[in-house]
Amino acid sequence: MKKLFIYTFLLGILAACGETETAQQQETLQQTEQIQQPQQQTVEIPENQQGMYGYYVGMFEAEEFKKNKKPSYSNKINIAIDKIEDGKIEGHSVIAGNSRPFSGTITDKGNNVYAVEAKEPGDDKYDGTFSFIVDATNKSLQGTWVANDKKLAVTKRKYNLPKKVFMYKKDLELEESVVQDIFYDSYDDEQGTFEIPTEQAILINASNTELKPEDIENLYKGDMEIIRNAIYARHGYTFKYRRMRYIFDKISWYIPVHTEVKDMLTDLEKKNIDLLKRYEKHSEAYYDAYGR
Amino acid sequence: MRTLKITIYLLLLAVYAFFCYLMAAITMQYIPINTDVAFLRIKQEYVTMIHYSISFFIHVFTSIFVLIAGFTQFSKTIRQKYYWIHQSSGWLYVVATLLFAAPSGLIIGIYANGGFWSRIGFCLLAVLWFIFTLVAMWRLKQKNIIAHQQWMLRSFALAMSAITLRAWKYVIVALFHPPPMDVYRVVAWLGWVLNLVIVEVYIYRKWKG
Repeated sequence: MKKLFIYTFLLGILAACGETETAQQQETLQQTEQIQQPQQQTVEIPENQQGMYGYYVGMFEAEEFKKNKKPSYSNKINIAIDKIEDGKIEGHSVIAGNSRPFSGTITDKGNNVYAVEAKEPGDDKYDGTFSFIVDATNKSLQGTWVANDKKLAVTKRKYNLPKKVFMYKKDLELEESVVQDIFYDSYDDEQGTFEIPTEQAILINASNTELKPEDIENLYKGDMEIIRNAIYARHGYTFKYRRMRYIFDKISWYIPVHTEVKDMLTDLEKKNIDLLKRYEKHSEAYYDAYGR
Repeated sequence: MRTLKITIYLLLLAVYAFFCYLMAAITMQYIPINTDVAFLRIKQEYVTMIHYSISFFIHVFTSIFVLIAGFTQFSKTIRQKYYWIHQSSGWLYVVATLLFAAPSGLIIGIYANGGFWSRIGFCLLAVLWFIFTLVAMWRLKQKNIIAHQQWMLRSFALAMSAITLRAWKYVIVALFHPPPMDVYRVVAWLGWVLNLVIVEVYIYRKWKG
């Protein structure tokens, strides 16, 4: 009986010690957290961080620029968060015909808000550093970007981007914004006119309709160009040159995702592209020439 | 007065020569023969039809000979002093037109750009051109020189549509920038009807009806 009491008592003490240690461990952990809070998240990735993965899309606005270098004041950008682990963030941005990776640190600021400092590799002349806040509740991110090369036309940009989901849909139609502005850099000295898109450019969908010559033979070259490039835009193609980029950046559903979409085109789209290119080239050579 | 007339005649000849040069340049685009070049690039749905392709190339390669008559047949000096030139050049024009350029023009006119009314315009042009040229030769056979002259003027006015159609197209596009087929539909008629009207007025005034 006496032995049983002693053993139970010893067990009790051991258990109590164990509990104290756990409590001590917890306290230590909390202390560690408090010290490291400004730098690292040491707890494993909670669900809401994975919820931050995805595309944040909107306008990349010039904040510091040199006018004489013909800056592009505003381009649509897709800042994609690909991976968050141990306070490190990896992603990539797609804009103006380029897709560049970035990596850096992500810090929990509390209230479901995170601060990111991320650098692009640095071996491309347009690389720079991103500095932004991710609001995981509102699903948006905003901040600034600074170029590495201070001689660029634009050395600092700002952005406020809502999270968006990209999905190719052949039925996506163009919008009125297409016909509300002239083509970039289209002033013709000889004629004294600008080139403007017409309603025809937004009435024809070359991704869901098989085009025949009679559908497009009476179109202006610029309209055909828009109809053809809309195919690429639906697939998330990022436009390298301003002429088409400035038009599609204004489309609400347009998200730059891929630098190459050749392999994603449907057979119908490929056929339409061939037909449109043929008539565009013909118009280019013959529309205003002496001849038929 | 005579110097002025000669000067104007030579000036017109120079302008005509310039346009003939442009037409020759257009013809050169089709050498070597290729069904996917220049104008044919937007006729791909028709080039597989053998009668279309053959007619197209006949038209392109023989029409240029039709224009030669413009340099020789309007000169009184040539008619009076070098009649053999008038005769050979005349036969060249008639053979090129009746056997080659007009019939082939009719066939490709059936497939003209611009839709139904454009096609009617080109087919009517081809038919009238054929008829006027034939009547002009018939009148010659009847030794009715004045009628021969009048009908040849009408025939040549229609032949000129090759040049005037393209000139109108150039001017209309430069001034108004309409959609391309809308332009085509206009010049399909404007290109030759106005020529015929002008030549009828000329005939009327010269021979008083």
